Amino acid sequence: MSLREVFERHPERRYIMFGGKGGLGKTTLSATCAYWLARQGKRVLLFSVDPQASLSDIFQQDIFGKGAVPIVENLWAQEIDADRRIKEYQDEIRQKILDMYGFDRVPEEIDSYIASASAEPAMEESAIFDAVVDIVVKGDYDYYIYDLVPLGHALYYLSMAKVYDEWINKITKLREDMGQYDQVAATLRRQDKVEEDKILQELQYIKGRINTSSQILTDKQRTAFFFVLVPEEMTILDTRKAAELFARFAVPISGYIVNRVLPEELRSGNIPTYLKNRIQLQEKYLGDIQNSLGSEIMAYVPEMERDVTGLAMIERLARQLFEDSK
Amino acid sequence: MAERDEPKKGIFQVFKDIVYGMSSHEMTRHAVRSRASMEHLFILITMGDLLGVPILPPYYSLRLLPYVTPQISTWKRRMLRERDITDTIG
Repeated sequence: MSLREVFERHPERRYIMFGGKGGLGKTTLSATCAYWLARQGKRVLLFSVDPQASLSDIFQQDIFGKGAVPIVENLWAQEIDADRRIKEYQDEIRQKILDMYGFDRVPEEIDSYIASASAEPAMEESAIFDAVVDIVVKGDYDYYIYDLVPLGHALYYLSMAKVYDEWINKITKLREDMGQYDQVAATLRRQDKVEEDKILQELQYIKGRINTSSQILTDKQRTAFFFVLVPEEMTILDTRKAAELFARFAVPISGYIVNRVLPEELRSGNIPTYLKNRIQLQEKYLGDIQNSLGSEIMAYVPEMERDVTGLAMIERLARQLFEDSK
Repeated sequence: MAERDEPKKGIFQVFKDIVYGMSSHEMTRHAVRSRASMEHLFILITMGDLLGVPILPPYYSLRLLPYVTPQISTWKRRMLRERDITDTIG
């Protein structure tokens, strides 16, 4: 099956993700795929969850922290500015405390907690995670294309959803038990009703957000996850390991894309030994990939003679990926 | 003193209060106390960082912070105070 057939046969798969080791061309392939879908008349949002995002570079346009920026007709791209989001979030919390208790300023102890909590490394990931929920919940687009972070982070991102979910379940339970004690005390004192538990509502809200996100990541109907790899020994080994881990988190893997394949026409010419060796090596690895993944390979993408940046280059790659490889 | 402002209680109300005091006051007190312990446990789980016990990623615990702000100082006192055998009595 080719990449094009996957999209044509499964129009319900609206959440498209590209994963793989760093530097293999995930951003390039996400951009290419987004571009092609937009050309087919679909409304596409391509967004990056990487704190060091590179969509700005590939489109040669500064889009960092500017929301969904239109690139071409039907295609929008977005890079999430996690730092700014965290800052706004902190201010929101401070304001809420001031409003709720009528303080002139936030108590020092509380304020320093807010500041220190935001310095933790997990804060950035969580903020992006939360921003993604905002983006996909709106549902304004036909396709959402995630430009994922390198593998380790992506796994962390997935496992975080699981941990969060379990954590929230536990404390929601505790909160409900607390509500029962309130109820007992109120009944014994013959009070009519217990004050509504705002925290419980808040917890349920958080749970809803986390579930939305993790459901999408593991939804076999609506999500397509593609692994990007290159014909090199280390990458093949790492990809195999990662695929097993992803399977454990029930992420539906839709296929593999082999990137950076040296073009065949090189072989016929009179080429230096160095290049000849590289091509031979690559052939061996391509064989390995074909043996172990076979029909799951969606496309072979040739190594281009120059970097893929700018729309003209993306268009060329899109044609290769979706039109010629049939 | 809040009681002073309340209207004078009727004989029936006084009787009701006496019965309440004799029968279920102790149970109520127990329920309220258990509730308070759980409240502190809850804050520990969500705001553990405040004592240097990071339990979970802080993004969502910040969301809960406004609701527990008034309890933070008593909670900290309770968590960090020294304990001895008399704590287990009562």
